[in-house]
Amino acid sequence: MASALPLIGLLLAHAAAPVRAEEDISIPVLVPVTGFLSLEGTSQRNGALLALKDAVPGLTIRSDVIDTGTSPEAAVTALERAAGGGGVVAVGASMLGTQMLAMLPLAEEYGLPLVTVSGTASITEQGNPWVFRFFPGDAVTKEAHARYVVEELGKRRAAVIYQTTAYGQSGKAHLDTVLKRLGAEPVFAEGVDPTAKDLLPVLTKALAAGPDVLILHLHSGPTALFLRQAAAQGLTIPVVAGSAMHQPSTAALLEPAELKGVCAETAASPVSGGSPEMEAFTEAYRREFKAEPDAFALGQYDGTRMVLEAVKAGARTPQAVRDALAGGTHKGLAMTYRSDGKGNMAHSAVIVCYDGASRVPKLAKRYDNVTGVVP
Amino acid sequence: MIILQLLVNGVALGAAYALVALGFVLVLNATSAVNFAQGDLVMAGGLLAVAAAPLLPLPGVLLLPVVMALMAGLGVLLALAAYMPLRRRPPVSVFISTIAVGIILQNGASVLFGPEPRAAPPLFSGGSLSLGGLVVAEQSLAIIAVAGLLIAAQGWLFARTQLGRRLRATAQDPEMARACGVPVTAMILATFALGTAYAGVAGLLLANQFFVAPTAGGDLILKAYIAVTIGGWGSVPGAVAGALVIALFEVGVSSVLSYPVALGALYVTLLLILVARPQGLFGEAARRRA
Repeated sequence: MASALPLIGLLLAHAAAPVRAEEDISIPVLVPVTGFLSLEGTSQRNGALLALKDAVPGLTIRSDVIDTGTSPEAAVTALERAAGGGGVVAVGASMLGTQMLAMLPLAEEYGLPLVTVSGTASITEQGNPWVFRFFPGDAVTKEAHARYVVEELGKRRAAVIYQTTAYGQSGKAHLDTVLKRLGAEPVFAEGVDPTAKDLLPVLTKALAAGPDVLILHLHSGPTALFLRQAAAQGLTIPVVAGSAMHQPSTAALLEPAELKGVCAETAASPVSGGSPEMEAFTEAYRREFKAEPDAFALGQYDGTRMVLEAVKAGARTPQAVRDALAGGTHKGLAMTYRSDGKGNMAHSAVIVCYDGASRVPKLAKRYDNVTGVVP
Repeated sequence: MIILQLLVNGVALGAAYALVALGFVLVLNATSAVNFAQGDLVMAGGLLAVAAAPLLPLPGVLLLPVVMALMAGLGVLLALAAYMPLRRRPPVSVFISTIAVGIILQNGASVLFGPEPRAAPPLFSGGSLSLGGLVVAEQSLAIIAVAGLLIAAQGWLFARTQLGRRLRATAQDPEMARACGVPVTAMILATFALGTAYAGVAGLLLANQFFVAPTAGGDLILKAYIAVTIGGWGSVPGAVAGALVIALFEVGVSSVLSYPVALGALYVTLLLILVARPQGLFGEAARRRA
C-alpha cells in the first residue's frame, strides 16, 4: 500500500491540475509598481500589457504581473515564482538595475530571456546571454544629448547638474566623455541628492560659472523643481534636460511658459506623434490606462512585440525566443532594434523641445543607429 | 541680493520642515508615541488636496479647512487602528504599527493616484513677488505665514486652554489624568486628529511648492525626526529650530559647498549635538528618546 501512495498522489495531482492548452504560453511581467521607481515601472508594465493584448490570434498568452518593489530579493522571488508557473518563454523584467543584476544569474540558470528597459549599463556587461535591453543606454542617449548641445545649439560652455544616484552618475560620466571628445568640457558640474527641495543654490553656483547652456540629468520631480526655480529667476540660457523631462507627468507639473526653450533627450516621445502607428499606440495606451505613454512604456511595448513576433514565427521555448532576440532585427515604433551581441537592442535617441505654448514637446533631432549596430 | 534670496528660500524650506515636525511633536507630547507615519500622512494630505481641487474648485486657502477636516478623520482612524490597541505594549509596537500604516498609505496612494508626482493648488496664487531683484514665490510666504500661525496656535492651545491642559495631563500620566476625570481616550483621539490635520496642512502647502508623490513621505519623516532630535525631543521651539538648521545646511551650506557635502555636514553636526547635548538644543535631560 505504501509503495502505491506516490502513484495515487501523482494521479490526484494530475487530476487536480488545470488543463492547459498545448499552445498556452506565458510572458510574466515582473516590474516595480511600488516604491521609488513606481512611475517608470508602471509605464513598463503598461507597455508590456498593451503589447500582449490580442497579441497572437489563436494563441493564449498569460501575462501575470508581479510587483518587484525595490529590493533585489523581491525581484529574485518574483522570478522564481514566475518561472514555476510553466509555459514561460520570456519575462518582462524590472527596469531597476540592482534588481536586474540580482535576477541575471537565476535567469541563466532557468534559461529565461529577460526583456527590460533598464538603463543600467552593467546589466549587459555580465556576459549573460539571457538579457535584452530595449532602451538605449547612456552610451547612446548621452551621445545624442551632448551632440545636440554642441553641434545643433553651438554651445561649448555647459554647466552639468546631475543626480547623485547611480542613474545620475552614469549619465554624467558618459556626458563628460562625449563633451570632452567634442571639445566642450563643462565649466561646472555638481551632483544633487534626489530629495533636495531647494535647487536655487546649485542654480546660483552654475550660473556663476558663466555657462552658455545648462545640461540636466535629473529624475522627474527634481527636473520640474529645477525648471520652475530657473524660470522664476528669469533664466535666459537654454536647458537641455535628461529623459525624465520628456515624461508627460514631468511636463504636467509645470506651466507651458516655464518649459519655453527646454529640450530633452529620450529614446522616444510617443505623445509627440510622428507616424500613424505611433499615434495609434498613444491612443490605445490612453484608452487602456487613462494615462499618457512615455519612452519606457514604448520600449517595453516594442520589446514585448519582438518576443511575440518570435512566437508568431514558431518559437515556443525560451531558447528559441532567446535565439530570435539575439539574432533578429525588429522594426519597432520607436526605432529598429538589433542586439549588439551583449543584449543592447536600442541604438537610437531623439531630442524633443518645448515651445512654451504646450506641454507636448516637438521632435527636434533624431540620432539613429548611434552605435552602428543596425545594418 | 542672492544671499537675501537664499535666506528667504532657506526660511521657507525650514518652515516647511517645521510644519511636518509640528504634528509629529504634538502626538509625541500627548501620547509619547513616535508616529513614523507622519511623513506619509503629509503625503496623504498633499494628494488629498490634489484630488479635492477639481471637485471643489476653491482657492487653496478655502480648500485648507476641508483637507484639515478629512485628515483629522484619518487621524482618528490611525489612532484606533495603530495606537489604541497597542498603547499598553512596549513603545516599539507603536513604532512598527505606524511604519506599517505609512507603508499602507504609500502603496494605497500609489494605487489610487498613480505613481507620478503631482502639484496641489497654491494657497492664494501661484505667482512670484519681485521686490527689487528679489524673487519670492507667494507660496513660500504662505508656508512661512501658516507655519508661524500654527506654531503660535499650538503654543496657545497647550499653555492657555483647558483642552491643552488635559492633553498635557494625558501625556504626562494617563492613569492620574483619568483619576482626575480627564477623558483620556478622547484626548488621545483628539491629539491624533490634530496632528494629522497639521499633516494635511503641511501636505497641501508642500505639494504645491515641492510636488507630492506616493513615495515622498520617507524623506519628510526623516527630516522631521532629525529636526526633533536636534531641537530636543518633544520641544516645539526645538523642532522649529531643528527644521531651520536642516534648511540652513540644505540651502545655505550647499550654496557654498556641494549639496552632498552639505548633507554630510548636517549629519556630522547632528552627531556632534548628540554627543555634546544628547537632549537636543531645547530639550530637557530627563526626556527619553526613541
